[in-house]
Amino acid sequence: MTLDDLMAGLFLSSSDSYAAAVVSERVPRTVFSLLCGGALGVSGALMQAVTRNPLADPSILGVNTGASLFVVIGIAFFNISTAGQYIWLSIVGAIITAIIVYGIGSMGRTGNTPLKLVLAGAATSAILSSLISAIMLPRSFVMDQFRFWQVGSVGAANWDFIAIFLPFLVSGILLAFIMAPSLNALLLGDEIATGQGVRTGLLTLVSAFTGVILCGAVTALAGPIGFIGLLATHLMRLIFGPDLRLIIPMSAISGASILTIADVLGRLIGSPGEVEAGIITAFIGAPVLILLATKLKVRSL
Amino acid sequence: MKSTHKLQTEQIVAGYDSKKILHGIDVVIPNNQINVIIGPNACGKSTLLKTMARLIKPITGDVILDGKSIHKIPPKKLARVLGVLPQSPIAPEGISVADLVGRGRFPHQSLLSGWSEKDYQAVEEAMDMMGITELANRQLDELSGGQRQRVWIAMALAQQTDILFLDEPTTFLDITYQVEILDLLTDLNRKYGTTIVMVLHDINLAARYADYIFALRKGELIAEGRPSEIITDELIKEIFELDCTVIEDPVSKSPMIVPRGRFHVFS
Repeated sequence: MTLDDLMAGLFLSSSDSYAAAVVSERVPRTVFSLLCGGALGVSGALMQAVTRNPLADPSILGVNTGASLFVVIGIAFFNISTAGQYIWLSIVGAIITAIIVYGIGSMGRTGNTPLKLVLAGAATSAILSSLISAIMLPRSFVMDQFRFWQVGSVGAANWDFIAIFLPFLVSGILLAFIMAPSLNALLLGDEIATGQGVRTGLLTLVSAFTGVILCGAVTALAGPIGFIGLLATHLMRLIFGPDLRLIIPMSAISGASILTIADVLGRLIGSPGEVEAGIITAFIGAPVLILLATKLKVRSL
Repeated sequence: MKSTHKLQTEQIVAGYDSKKILHGIDVVIPNNQINVIIGPNACGKSTLLKTMARLIKPITGDVILDGKSIHKIPPKKLARVLGVLPQSPIAPEGISVADLVGRGRFPHQSLLSGWSEKDYQAVEEAMDMMGITELANRQLDELSGGQRQRVWIAMALAQQTDILFLDEPTTFLDITYQVEILDLLTDLNRKYGTTIVMVLHDINLAARYADYIFALRKGELIAEGRPSEIITDELIKEIFELDCTVIEDPVSKSPMIVPRGRFHVFS
């Protein structure tokens, strides 16, 4: 590839050189995967802080399956086909699922414990997945539209996608930065947080919504990519300790790196085709989840 | 340094899920004193403390600080006057002692200000006072119960409030550490004039360390005053339904209760 090809790929809308075509496809793809990974990393960090649950992650809590279901319903019954429409459906689906999972996880005498929340997420996710299949299987047109999206891929990225996604990402991450010191206080329990002047109810609501919206927006455009939130935050926690003022920005960076690396790996492994990034992250993420769950001290009772 | 704040409650009725635990409590917290709330289990002593520390909103009645309802004061501003250490605080895994103590500075910081010289100084002082300076880089999880409690109190100290609430700060600790914690809190009160309000289970330690006692039973305030004035056989009988003899503590000259059970009673 020459410098001319690079420039042509970046700045010209059409070019006939092969290398230039690669650049014009790969650059937005890389930018998009960096943004999505960053958003998922921050989303995971927020969900873990709000639920005080080290296992919280958009995919483990079933939030992105809920987002998917809504997108599928939109495609199947309401003829929805643009990214701008996906994103709102996806966010609504994510919010509703988050509320349901949290509700189920908090039922019973012990209130919500980390493991109960994860179980509620897994169970809800299973139900929602079967609904997705039930809607999709008899409708081949939905199936086609949905197939790539389902496993999580950043391959479809273009600058239009990025433009739709950017406002959600920027406002979400900005909010997360602003809330980090208060979330630090919340990690010491509602009582200490209140004693330190945090409006705990408001903080919990805003940060949960921010986490869910970040994940919903990513899911709308890239499909349900799992485990990034979990991997990104725990890696950073190992290095930087539990201070969220560091964890939140660092999880954005590590999430971005992990997803981009997963995407590149997927292309290498699947060459000449590709393995979607969502498959790679699940492959790495699932064993990490098991490891974390076995290490987890059960804090209930 | 003397605190000039005035904290009082007005006819507090409070409780959980519409089950009323406090039935109209009026107290004025004496300034620069160690105040202890005593009473049997489920008498509402913890509820009273939490209500005064704005952790629980009363059903009716109000808590007034300097003539203003604490629920109408901006929370961060209030947090620079009222500090609270709940009974079983939680900490994120792997947090270091210095980091945790530093969290007490939250109400003094804004998003852009970052850490000031004053913040560092407050943390250093708090750790020094609680004798945990050499533990600064250790992780909280590694410490003993007594050390951990000193770290939590240091965090509350770093908040530098004139009034500090503590909910049973000595529970789960060996007697050695109970005395140590109460000594440290007395240091704090003597050095900075901090008004301390705490719930204690042990009446004899309460009578020794308290300047002022509030005695509760079934959600009502039965008696209040200096331990030497109010701790009598009759009061203990009324509050705890326990026969006892009150003698003078040979060490502190404060009143000391000696319970009379059904056995081993010779006089």
